Amino acid sequence: MTYKTDEIWEDKWVNTTCGVCYCGCAARVRVVNGVPVKIEGISESTMGGTGSGLCGKGTAGLMYYHDPNRIKKPLRRTNPEKGIGVDPKWKEIEWEEALDEIATRMKKIMEDDPNKILFTNQTMRASDGPHNHPYFYAQAYGVKNNGNFIIGGGSLHCGNAAHMLGGLIHGAWSIAPDWRYTKYVLKWGSSKGTGSGHSAMTNARLRADAVRRGIHEVVFDPMGNFAGGKATEWVAILPGTDTAVGLAIANYILNTRGEIDELYLKAKTNFVYLIREDGTFIRDEKSDKPLVFDSKEGKIKEFDDKSIAYEDFALYGDYEYKGEKVRPCFMALKEHLKQFTPEWASEISTVPVGTILKVAKNWVDNAQIGSTITIEGKTFPYRPVSSVTFRGAQGHSNGIHQVAAIDLMSQLVGAEDVPGGTMGWPSKRRKYPGGQYERMPRIGKDGVLIPAVFYSHDPWPVHIPSVPCDNNGCVNFWTHCTLSHIPYVKERDYIHEKFGMGSKPEMIFGIAANFIISNSDWDVAVENFKDCFVVQNDLWVNETDQAIGDIILPDVSYLEKDCWSSEIDAFFFSGSPSNEDWYVHMQQPVAKPIGESRFFMDVYIDVAHRVGVLDKFNESLNNYYGITDEELKIKPGEYLNWKQIGERFMKWVYGDDKEKVEKQGFATWHKPIEDVYWRWNTESRCPVYMEFLIHDRRAVDKIIEDTGFELEMDLDQYTPMPSWFVPTSYKELDNEYDLLAFSYRDILHTNNTTFQNPYVDEVSKMCPYTFTITLNATLAKERGMKDGDIIWLENKYGIKENGIVKTMEAQSPKVVGISGQGGLWADGRPIAKGKGSNFCKLLPSYLRHYDPITGNIETAVAVKIYKD
Amino acid sequence: MSNKIHELVQTMFPPDGSGLKPYEWMVSPTRQRQWIDDKGIFLWLAFFFSEIGAGLYFVSLFYEYKAGLILGWLITLVLGGVIHMLYLGNPFRAWRMIMKPSTSELSRGIWIIGIFAALGLLQIVTAGSFNIVFNCIMGILCLLIISHGFATMNVIRALPAWSSTMVLPLSVISGIWIGHQILQFMFAVSGPQTLVSGMEIWAEAFFFAYFLCILLYAWGTYHSNEIGKESIILQVKGELSKISLAGVGGFGIALPLILTLIMWGGDTNSFLIFLRLASVLAGDLALRYVIMKSAMYKPLI
Amino acid sequence: MPRWGMVIDVKRCIACWSCTIACKEEHFLPPGVFFNRVLIGETGKFPSSSKLIYPILCNHCSDAACVEACPTGATYVREDGIVAVDDEKCVGCRACLVSCPYQQRTYYDQKVKDREYFPGQGKTEMELIGEKLYPLKVGTVIKCNFCAERVDDGMKKGLKPGEDEDATPACANACPVNARIFGDLDDPDSEISRLIMEKKGKQLRKEFGTEPAVYYID
Repeated sequence: MTYKTDEIWEDKWVNTTCGVCYCGCAARVRVVNGVPVKIEGISESTMGGTGSGLCGKGTAGLMYYHDPNRIKKPLRRTNPEKGIGVDPKWKEIEWEEALDEIATRMKKIMEDDPNKILFTNQTMRASDGPHNHPYFYAQAYGVKNNGNFIIGGGSLHCGNAAHMLGGLIHGAWSIAPDWRYTKYVLKWGSSKGTGSGHSAMTNARLRADAVRRGIHEVVFDPMGNFAGGKATEWVAILPGTDTAVGLAIANYILNTRGEIDELYLKAKTNFVYLIREDGTFIRDEKSDKPLVFDSKEGKIKEFDDKSIAYEDFALYGDYEYKGEKVRPCFMALKEHLKQFTPEWASEISTVPVGTILKVAKNWVDNAQIGSTITIEGKTFPYRPVSSVTFRGAQGHSNGIHQVAAIDLMSQLVGAEDVPGGTMGWPSKRRKYPGGQYERMPRIGKDGVLIPAVFYSHDPWPVHIPSVPCDNNGCVNFWTHCTLSHIPYVKERDYIHEKFGMGSKPEMIFGIAANFIISNSDWDVAVENFKDCFVVQNDLWVNETDQAIGDIILPDVSYLEKDCWSSEIDAFFFSGSPSNEDWYVHMQQPVAKPIGESRFFMDVYIDVAHRVGVLDKFNESLNNYYGITDEELKIKPGEYLNWKQIGERFMKWVYGDDKEKVEKQGFATWHKPIEDVYWRWNTESRCPVYMEFLIHDRRAVDKIIEDTGFELEMDLDQYTPMPSWFVPTSYKELDNEYDLLAFSYRDILHTNNTTFQNPYVDEVSKMCPYTFTITLNATLAKERGMKDGDIIWLENKYGIKENGIVKTMEAQSPKVVGISGQGGLWADGRPIAKGKGSNFCKLLPSYLRHYDPITGNIETAVAVKIYKD
Repeated sequence: MSNKIHELVQTMFPPDGSGLKPYEWMVSPTRQRQWIDDKGIFLWLAFFFSEIGAGLYFVSLFYEYKAGLILGWLITLVLGGVIHMLYLGNPFRAWRMIMKPSTSELSRGIWIIGIFAALGLLQIVTAGSFNIVFNCIMGILCLLIISHGFATMNVIRALPAWSSTMVLPLSVISGIWIGHQILQFMFAVSGPQTLVSGMEIWAEAFFFAYFLCILLYAWGTYHSNEIGKESIILQVKGELSKISLAGVGGFGIALPLILTLIMWGGDTNSFLIFLRLASVLAGDLALRYVIMKSAMYKPLI
Repeated sequence: MPRWGMVIDVKRCIACWSCTIACKEEHFLPPGVFFNRVLIGETGKFPSSSKLIYPILCNHCSDAACVEACPTGATYVREDGIVAVDDEKCVGCRACLVSCPYQQRTYYDQKVKDREYFPGQGKTEMELIGEKLYPLKVGTVIKCNFCAERVDDGMKKGLKPGEDEDATPACANACPVNARIFGDLDDPDSEISRLIMEKKGKQLRKEFGTEPAVYYID
């Protein structure tokens, strides 16, 4: 649509998938004379914003292609010394030399112990997808479990507790309000629908329509910015104290108001399972199934006994089983909740009592318990209230209890996976009409869902903690980590020694992870990884590469990538969590790879081939996509690159429509309503009473005693019902270190990759809070600080970071806010260098700063602030 | 102004001369920069020269002094005009500026300058041209040119510091005052001293009028609205305070006041007149500078 | 003849800056030049303060201060209400720029033209091709033109601006939450006319008296 000249010999649009964050929105790119010049969304696809809308950073994605700082040839460190501030003295080498050295080193390590190789992944590297393959790629090398996995950009700030509960409750990776039908939404430290979280723009579009429709949105957050600034009502809360408010609301629902969705609780939760006095389930001796009480027949039966009607499951009552006093665990919950009064919660969280009561009342009033709705001819319970959380509230050393408390209020009114309630991301992937690939969750032990796909570590069935540990992440002991925290922990070597983990890491083979600066204390990360031989596929030389990288391989950006599988693999966190059609997208190259850059998937295949494990990897690919057609399978001894594999597998996935889908770049097909609200008609139960934690505790206690393990862990958190535990950061508050620093996601940024984008950089400067450190205006005044001052934040361990002050009213006066991963210094990213402040480095990395159950790091930190 | 800029600020928000961080743009009162910063400085000089030139021409009319006319005409057209052209993005298209006299003050100004150039030349080259009609026409043209710069600024409603009521009187008085001073100096070096001494009574009047106009401008603008107030605060308290104090206060008002008092009653002295001229030139440049530099837009939110 | 205008739904906007960046891509604007921006501010006191987010662009005023100030007629209001600049006539006096109370104009000189997105590393292929695809004239004032070339080309193809994306300004297309709605203010049945009526659309700083064609609803 611009003035044309005679010099234009090509002007076309190419459909692909955005790769600037993990959301994978539909995107199309205008290419003129081979040069990508514009990106927008695809109107015909539901994935992403309204029409051809795309968010700002997605629109800015062009710069990943145009950045002259991209590495164009493999780089080899020549300076053996490693560390922050040390010049690696890079030398450009040939691909052959690089791959040969990588393979030779790998083979040598594998002769000893393949678990000494760490495979890393990062979900926001602008070279997104395939998502899941690094996990089973590692397995092809003989790596056990998922524990050798260290995640990069998203780091442990993200997800562990939220994903665990998402998996257990919804069989899903994450949760979102059912924007289409909801009326009342509570967001706890989460910006779903206002720019962050999975399917961010899909959610933003759905939320915008919902807000126009008049929904009421209450945001509990330390700051009123992206989520709070757009809410109907922003409620200032201290970081990590959401549990207290959540439990007070649950207490109000159950004990004060006494209005609950009994049918839901009886049919869809394990609250009906009978427990002994010690809190454990009584189980049938033969089947090992938990038992319940059929109030109609007055008999104790197995939980899945088909003879019990849902309404007859007992929620209340005291019974006897084989001489033991038993009762439904719901009784225990009811008593347990009584202690959590609004006054108590207010004291902890700073949320006024009146606000807690008002929200609790509105919650029950809006839940419309008992009402139903008919959509597309099918009738479902209608519960238009939703309570969601993500990175913010769950990112604490009490993360699991935070998420469980926030979930509990939805459980009590039955607002889960029904119209208007809290939805899981699509837990299913139906096959494309005429195609083959389909993934469905299953029902596992105790009636709990096993997700169809989950990164790294399935939340169910649970495993009892054990030693010795056989992997770097020690997931044998920390069994609920989606991604293990142990690789980053300061006492890592001590833990490895105590728990008999003998595979000391020697090599890292990663994809653009920036784990040195994006998780916690930088020095600990350098110390823990510097002795490894570090190979990374990357677009630039990032901070991690510069500090500890040995060989850096030039990766393609998403704009140059030919990836047929990207969305196929990501359905469980892309896709629309609401009532919208299925869709799938491909990443098609819009331009030729920069320099000698190669798609990491092809590098993976090449290295596997050199090491001699390609057949194993190919076999797992055949299995992953469930390919039974012998013609389409990759055969032993075959060497196919990713595109060639796609030629076969796409026939499997799309059947006769392969060419059509390829040509279009995406496909969309009808999602029937019963696939949207599928859980209502599934015989599964949410393990909201986390009985397994009692057994975990026993095992953990024994291991600690046996091994003489002396590190501090808040073991009381191994308790089945959501309870209040003080986050580690609060224990470090005193008169000197008197403020809590917290971080949040800025809509413009995906961790730190976007800092190198000049379009994003330019508009970041026009945002008051993106590159600055925010302080409540009154607090700043008290401290003699004003806008533009340079201040230092220092934690108790002497780690400090500086930044520019921006005062704001909409922030709790007891906190300091930083929007994430600035403060960058890599020479390979000059636009990013020096922008913003780095929050992560301030996070202490002692074991006690992690959630003992899920491994989530405490993402608040006690600091003192002072002027430069 | 010369404070060391912290490295963090230099990297993240490199100062652009606006005194604001990018995120404060039009969220806080935002200073006008186009007509004073960078190349905009030409406009400041161009307005100044065309106006003092016209001022000189105007005063010379009363003394029927041709050298004054010639110098005034040259300053207005050559200095004012050329500097004006340097400022333009496309100077070769300057002729197009005659196209919109109906709405554009700038366009009207071009017309007036054109007429002034032609008639002025005629008056200069014609003998016996100091007749009442010619003088009246040229007088009016001069007044229009004197006020042209500030009139152009005055019509900009978006900038309260310029659109306040006292801007036009101030500019007229300032043009005449400085024109008068140049003429008095010309007479001091070449003319009869009685004339110089006789002019002093007018110098006293113009100076006090000028002083009064500045006060009224500042008072009026300060009380006009929030943004006008901000502009005046910027002039006297902010980064412009040094220029306001030394330039406007010192050279524009205090020094001329002292010199005027010394020469009170016509006790003139060539050196002092030169000193006063130099001082008022510097003072007026400073005054125009702070007025142009301090104009601010109202935030949009 | 339509009068093109825009409604910006402040309630929907989440300040993602897509409009700003998409506009820069559409017009190949150099660093530091914006036809669209998002103003972010705050009002009220803790704990009941609120965040203000106002996406802004040229208001295409019918009584435009810039048009009035332009001495050459280079800046003019088209019949369809779009305030345009004829870069053949602009002398670069910037009277328009200074006059605009919304500060929506940029003076494009050699210094601006020479800016690089990766400073000191040369212009990218995109910046170079942009100079051919969307040539901007040095020494003139540039501004948002409501993507007049999209609107004109689209209408020639029989498309409807505001409904068909190929005939709609890039910023409106780029918005992921449908916070920008483009359409005909003179058509009482258009979506924007309806929204302005129903939601009591307000012009930004109406008191400037320039009659903007951009309305805000919340």
